[in-house]
Amino acid sequence: MALIHEPDAPAASAGESMEAFFNGLWNQNPVFVQVLGMCPTLAVTNSVRNALAMGLATTFVLVCSNTLISMVRKLVQKQVRIATYILIIATFVTIVDYLIKAISIPVYKALGAFIALIVVNCIILGRAEAYASKNSVGKSMLDGLGMGVGFAFALTCLGSVREILGAGSFLGIPLFGPNFQPWVLFLLPPGGFLTLATWLLIFSAWKARSKRKTEVLEEIAA
Amino acid sequence: MSATTQSPQARTPKPPAAEAASSVKMIRLMGSVSLICGLLIVTTYRSTLVPIQRNQEIIMKETVAELLPGVEKQVIYGVQPSGEISVLKSLDYTGPRLFAGYNGSGALLGVVLEASDRGYADVIRTMYAYSPAKQAITGFKVVELKETPGLGDKITSDPTFLANFQNLDVRLNADKTSTAHPVTTVKHGTKKNPWEVDAISGATISSRAVGRALDKSTRDLLPIVNRNLSRIEKGE
Amino acid sequence: MNHASLSSIFLDSLLINNFVLSVFLGICPFIGVSGKFATAWRMGISVIFVITVSSILAYASNLLLVTLHAEYLRIITFIVIIASTVQLLEMFIKKTSPLLFRALGIYLPLITTNCAVLGVALFQTAREYSFAQSVVFAVGASAGFALALVIMSVIRERLELSDIPDMARGTALVLMLAGILSMAFMGFAGMGGGA
Repeated sequence: MALIHEPDAPAASAGESMEAFFNGLWNQNPVFVQVLGMCPTLAVTNSVRNALAMGLATTFVLVCSNTLISMVRKLVQKQVRIATYILIIATFVTIVDYLIKAISIPVYKALGAFIALIVVNCIILGRAEAYASKNSVGKSMLDGLGMGVGFAFALTCLGSVREILGAGSFLGIPLFGPNFQPWVLFLLPPGGFLTLATWLLIFSAWKARSKRKTEVLEEIAA
Repeated sequence: MSATTQSPQARTPKPPAAEAASSVKMIRLMGSVSLICGLLIVTTYRSTLVPIQRNQEIIMKETVAELLPGVEKQVIYGVQPSGEISVLKSLDYTGPRLFAGYNGSGALLGVVLEASDRGYADVIRTMYAYSPAKQAITGFKVVELKETPGLGDKITSDPTFLANFQNLDVRLNADKTSTAHPVTTVKHGTKKNPWEVDAISGATISSRAVGRALDKSTRDLLPIVNRNLSRIEKGE
Repeated sequence: MNHASLSSIFLDSLLINNFVLSVFLGICPFIGVSGKFATAWRMGISVIFVITVSSILAYASNLLLVTLHAEYLRIITFIVIIASTVQLLEMFIKKTSPLLFRALGIYLPLITTNCAVLGVALFQTAREYSFAQSVVFAVGASAGFALALVIMSVIRERLELSDIPDMARGTALVLMLAGILSMAFMGFAGMGGGA
């Protein structure tokens, strides 16, 4: 969402391309740190399988659109850039829509309209505008991959919690004995909200702690 | 992401000549990007068409095979608004569909039909097997539902509920225009007649939805199946 | 064709399958602009406006796509329609009612990336709604979005002065509240199907 988080401008002199990759995976994780792309994060994470499929689909779109946008970045005038980006993103979303349908109908049915809704996932347009329009093709591709994998990782985190608690299974394999009473709420919409809230709390607690640590270390050094 | 506040169109006024030149450039750029995008989409669409159809057919075939054990050959009919039926080449048909299943020697085992109605959370889609010889429903499967896990979704697993559909009486009335008795859902444990569905306690709304779906589908489609039975039996 | 009655479509999209609290559409603006009641209701009205207009346009363009057998262009067409609807509405309101523009102006461009708008267009097509059904669905769904947004903004204004741990302020708190609201909205679930 435009109002809350402005992704940090990429370091212009980022020597190593791997940095672009790990940046998206952890420091700038699209879900846990930037809080972008909430809709699919909540909607399709009621099982690990769906979460993984959505993560992969988004990664595919991110990598492809970042690559293509970076290729044409010098030709695009400022005034029509958003229109061009949206056109390119919508193309790859259409492609991924048909690919998923061709690979597995049950997955396609489980994800439903949320495949088409990848188009309006702020992460993708955000990366196009903030990174791919300014960086080389190779780096943009890695950035897309990093962000995509980071997104998939976050989705899987949510999906595992919800599936383990809500259905007592992981990737469809039952984990507990037959006497396990599933905590059904976690499969339902409220469970999505509550699980994500908990993950965000854990992340910010962890960040606050490491911040305190560096502060203490600096004090000692001083 | 401040991008969203930017308009796709040009906003900053420019001197006329420069504007004209850059407009042409912009249109050329948009045109070529659209062309590339169009090509990409059409290529994907063309190349995934066959696998998608094959996937859908496999799923349908598996469902029919599950509902009619021993099926070897399947023929799909589409029901036209006039009540006529015709053999379908693909699954892509908006009207009601009949899936006739035959055994190894070509004898009709039964016809699988679709039924759906609104449940507790969303529409429940089901398929059921109809045996013209027994004038009864002999199999039932929920193909799509979003009912509350742990309550409404029992309609897919509860053994006593599923036992309702091993032999559910749906014989036609005397003039063969509708079913003789509507399929009705009754409270758990009060089933008396062979055309009644014994509801699951705790999932009454979902059970009733199944009953309504079956009732509507059997009323509408079974007369058509019976009228065209000789054709369906020959598989033409 | 879909045979659902207009009233059941309206109730369903407004309360039972509320776009924000049970279908998870439009979560970003829901988190972003629910801080103040004054901004929340304005955003809500803008969204109702945009969704209704773009739903009508999406219905028309889908008819065109179906007659041309170009369904594979659906996603692109819808997104282009939504982006241009927002733009045209902005210009139109600016010309006709400066007062309304002052109230809604800054929210309109933000709506382009609101996935609820595209969601309405996609759902009405997937469910094969007729024209009247589409419009009722669009109004119901967007009113449901506005309702959730307004409820959340009122709760957040009340919580402004409460003592909440720093860690939980912001998004995590909104999500927790949304979880509780979503549980409350689950109570509506039986209304549409019913006996």
